[in-house]
Amino acid sequence: MAKKIAICAVAQIKNDPDYHYLRFQNMLLECFESIIKQTKVTFDMEKGIRTIITCSDDVFDARTISNNGITDVVGAHFRGEEKMAQESINGLGYAMACILSGHDDLILFMGHCKESQGESRRMVSNLAYDPFYCRPLGMDYHNVDAMQARAYMEKSKVTDEHLAKIVVRSRKNGKQNPYGRENKIVTEKEAMQSPMYSDPLREIYIYPVTDWAYGMLLCSEERAKEFTNNPVWITGYGSCMDTYFLGDKDLTSNFSLKNAAQRSYAKAGIKDPRKEIQLFELSDHAAYQLPMWAEGVGIADEGNGGKWIDDGGMDKFNVNLSGGQLNGNPLLLGGAARAIECYYHLSNQAGTRQVKNAKRAVAQATYGGAGQHQAVIVMES
Amino acid sequence: MAEYWGIKVEDIFNTMQERFRPEGAKDVDAVFGYDIKDEGKWKLTVKNNEMKIDKTSDLAGCIATMEADGETFVGVNTGKVDATNAFMSGKVKVEGDMGAFGKTGKLFRKYVIAQKEMTVKDYLADMFATVVSRFKAKEAEGLEASFAFDLGGQEGGKWTVFIKDKVCTVTTTIEGKPTVTLEFNDAKDYVDFILGKIDAQSILAAGKASAKGDINMMASKWPILFEKYKDPMGGNIPEQELIVLKKTISVNQKFSTGPIMGKFLKGLKDKKIYANKCPQCGRLQLPPREVCAECRVRAADFVEVGPKGEVRYMDLVYYAMPDPLTGVARETPYGGINILFDGCKGNETLPHFIRKDQIEKIQMGWNEKKGTRVRPVWEENRTGDIWDIKYFEIDE
Repeated sequence: MAKKIAICAVAQIKNDPDYHYLRFQNMLLECFESIIKQTKVTFDMEKGIRTIITCSDDVFDARTISNNGITDVVGAHFRGEEKMAQESINGLGYAMACILSGHDDLILFMGHCKESQGESRRMVSNLAYDPFYCRPLGMDYHNVDAMQARAYMEKSKVTDEHLAKIVVRSRKNGKQNPYGRENKIVTEKEAMQSPMYSDPLREIYIYPVTDWAYGMLLCSEERAKEFTNNPVWITGYGSCMDTYFLGDKDLTSNFSLKNAAQRSYAKAGIKDPRKEIQLFELSDHAAYQLPMWAEGVGIADEGNGGKWIDDGGMDKFNVNLSGGQLNGNPLLLGGAARAIECYYHLSNQAGTRQVKNAKRAVAQATYGGAGQHQAVIVMES
Repeated sequence: MAEYWGIKVEDIFNTMQERFRPEGAKDVDAVFGYDIKDEGKWKLTVKNNEMKIDKTSDLAGCIATMEADGETFVGVNTGKVDATNAFMSGKVKVEGDMGAFGKTGKLFRKYVIAQKEMTVKDYLADMFATVVSRFKAKEAEGLEASFAFDLGGQEGGKWTVFIKDKVCTVTTTIEGKPTVTLEFNDAKDYVDFILGKIDAQSILAAGKASAKGDINMMASKWPILFEKYKDPMGGNIPEQELIVLKKTISVNQKFSTGPIMGKFLKGLKDKKIYANKCPQCGRLQLPPREVCAECRVRAADFVEVGPKGEVRYMDLVYYAMPDPLTGVARETPYGGINILFDGCKGNETLPHFIRKDQIEKIQMGWNEKKGTRVRPVWEENRTGDIWDIKYFEIDE
């Protein structure tokens, strides 16, 4: 088994539809202060934080080099600061590389996204596409996901009723999560009356616009005891990038997720995820992705997502007890949100959601349309 | 009318209609003038996504008028002259509303220099027309010779090139007894030969051409006496059209100020300038931010400073970026200053603008040297943004 790194502490603000009274610096500051308070970590050049990794996105922030306006509230003044402008889960992989390579042994990892700031998140994700062809076609993550949803639902016999069931469960779970976005509890019938965005995706089947920020303190195995009695370990990380152009891939193949999961499991020494992992947090940007990613990480049989839901797979494998991405996290930060939920369970701090005797958990995240980029981390208590 | 790069000023105006882009004319309702030195004046009317261009003697009523000489005007329109340089060096001037004139940039597709096909006749005319200019007199010391060309076919003709006393002349006849005569059955082969498309040996071998008289004079001396003919079509490769998409990316935003920046902006509304103070090191920050970056602690205590102060840093801007909020280029020159307000010290300065007519009078402070004393000029109706201060002026 490869070496591991410790998560010593996590901090977050509550997921909110619109922090109209805060700028994202205020959101980050809450998390920063919480980490300092929890761990008593300093910025001493010998023993304190010398490296800060941040996660933010220029287009969501509407400013270029989005990290340099936040360096003061993440303590990065006169220290090394490096930005991850990708799904936040990659920041964990980056921190892991940084620590295991010996580049540094203590990392503060902060992220923010204020999705309420821009008029339309769909206009933002439209900019992910090339200006000559896909952008003029109006592609964005919603309608591209819908294309994948239709193909996947056909393949795995997932229905409108299944998607409604996923949303209802997500919102119920979200209510148990003190940091979860406040959403209305709905019935399956109500969910299926939600307006159609891009058939088969209804408005309620897509994660809602959310503002959020978080912080995490990560360090080497040797130093963990300086900051916590209860560290959680990252023992595996794998990521995979699928093709950029939609027309190049089989939308239902789950290629990049399977690849990322296998690499992560191999690092963590996991042979059978169904038996060895007690908790799964999956980044379901839209409801159909929950069973699809469940197939990808190996807890549902390929092509059987619908039946897996009917058989109680979501509860059997403790999937998305936080409410998942579907209950509301910013698009950019799903991975950090998933990892933080796993951290709570593995350190026995998950309150009413707590999975008993949770020893291992998987956090998965995706970015790009139709699950283009995938990353999976394995965490252990 | 003079030509520049083969294009007349009139050509630019006459093609405006076909180069017009209605999508670039949205929201434009104005009359623009063009005053081209020694060429004339034109009036461009844009309204309802349509345009009209008129040659005129009266440019009254134009919102903005461009002034340039013919060469610069053609150059800028064809991309032969850099527009920014032309503007900066004063070769192009705009009288009137500069911001409005900026919109004309989107109204037209670029003028593309027409690449006409050249016929055999065109080539022959050009080849012999340029013989004299290609003649290298110093290679003709003591030489007296005549080179005759008898080129057949419909587009052919006869030419004689005379060299005497280091002077070269050309006639379109063949008279007397030339030193050497080159005969081609088809003038096209001659053109292709000169352009390097076919070689002399194969033409001669095929019996399509022959030389009479002093063949060596033609084969060896001619290439020394004359510079090589340059194909005006540049090898006849048509200029590639570069397809470029021009789009403005725009996603509306609402920027929350948060409690700290919010308090500062509210202060401006009340004609007060608030700095925030670090509880540990006592440093002031302007504009205020949530934490003292150096001490990593919240800095929520506010101190009113100024509103008068002295100039510390300054610059004079001559080439302005468009105002990001309005898209209109600022009027230049303007002066940016960093003000050290009364109550602040060290680098606790705040940037703003100086009154335009006082730019020349401002002195920058440095270390112990005092800068010019300034005071804010407040806007009548203040809304809580940085333009609640119109600018700073000298405090006399």
